[in-house]
Amino acid sequence: MKNWLKTLKTLIWKDLLQEWRSKDMLTAMLAFAILSIFIFNYAMELDPRQRAELAPGVLWVVITFSGTLGLNRSFVAEQEQGSFDALVMAVPGLGSIWLAKQVSNFLMMLVLIMIVLPVYSLLYNQNLFIPGLILTLVLGAWSFSAAGTLLASMTAQTRMRDLLLPVLLFPILMPVNMAVVKAGTGIMTGAALVSYQVWLTVLLVYGIIMTTISLLVFDYVILE
Amino acid sequence: MAGTLVLIAFGLVLFYAPVEQNMGMVQKVFYFHVSAAWLGMLGFLVAAVCAVIYLMKGDLNLDSVAASSVEIGLLFTAIANFTGMIWARPIWNTWWTWDPRLTTMTIMAFTYIAYFLLRRGIEDPAKKARFGSIYLIIGFATVPLTFFSARLLRTIHPTIFGTAGTGEMAMTPAMYQTMGFSIFAFSVLFAALLIARTRLRLAENWLEEQEALEQDEEFGEVSGG
Repeated sequence: MKNWLKTLKTLIWKDLLQEWRSKDMLTAMLAFAILSIFIFNYAMELDPRQRAELAPGVLWVVITFSGTLGLNRSFVAEQEQGSFDALVMAVPGLGSIWLAKQVSNFLMMLVLIMIVLPVYSLLYNQNLFIPGLILTLVLGAWSFSAAGTLLASMTAQTRMRDLLLPVLLFPILMPVNMAVVKAGTGIMTGAALVSYQVWLTVLLVYGIIMTTISLLVFDYVILE
Repeated sequence: MAGTLVLIAFGLVLFYAPVEQNMGMVQKVFYFHVSAAWLGMLGFLVAAVCAVIYLMKGDLNLDSVAASSVEIGLLFTAIANFTGMIWARPIWNTWWTWDPRLTTMTIMAFTYIAYFLLRRGIEDPAKKARFGSIYLIIGFATVPLTFFSARLLRTIHPTIFGTAGTGEMAMTPAMYQTMGFSIFAFSVLFAALLIARTRLRLAENWLEEQEALEQDEEFGEVSGG
């Protein structure tokens, strides 16, 4: 168990260090996220009261679309340098490769959320630092990256690569999208916890199901 | 045999089942609508079961069954959607509504269209089968959650079985009999289509293998000579 945790830590550290040195993924994700906030401003000119209700939806679309950009890159380094086989040979327990990728993708999503939230708050003059909303987004981000990491590990090995990921990912993510937006709207409009509690449960259940399935089937993604 | 059964079902729907008093003739589309929707779900269930067994056993024939099953399921989901629209236009006064069942069925269809896109992007048959199976499993696991989520929002779709709410149809025995027979006939049709499609797919695979072998041989001759 202790060894396993150590492997996990090393793998996550490797991904983060790699990203820190190149900063390819984060810069692209952030630039795209902020651009889409601007686009939304012109796509729908909202009066302040409607904004509060729509903010979680707009935020979530911005986060998932930019997140997909990052996911597409998450297995590219291994693919291009052909280091994936070496990784598989070096690491005991293939599940930990998935989990490490998942955690580093999740952390990347958290950075994205941490930057998008204040920018959105500033540009729309709306306080989004509500603990409930942040919790919802974090739960959503875990589910998003869990499904996304597994699918990205498969699409990276196909002919169409980045073209394929959104098409595969978004139908699967439907419950997460509904839950984040519904729970978020409930929190933003100050509704009672009872009215949106069930959506948080949906997020939690989805996260657990997706994590379990991914750990179970990841062997089949990399085993030849 | 499947053809005959479907013809009999068609006859029953036209001549045996009574005309519903509020909705009139258009209600008759419902017998095929329910049967088609059932086949849509059955197709995906069969595929998911095949996918799990494939991952455990590694028999490529099972993957052919799964892929054929998804194809047939997709076809009948489309039929269910279109027959539903024909009914919804006069009854709900709209072709489409954001009802949980409609939404879920359509998202399910998109999931399985994505499944074929994934398969098309992979050359190696074993890898194609493995990735396809994994996608089928996650797809099948999320569909109930999608349905549950959508259900939390409101529904106006009639519930035929189970708990009845407002705006239900009261069905006469003749209607039940017709529907039961129609579902049975469609299920037989499903089995027949599945067998036919799987055979065709296996033949295709065999042909591809032969062609690949021939190419290898030609290449061998050239490089050898």
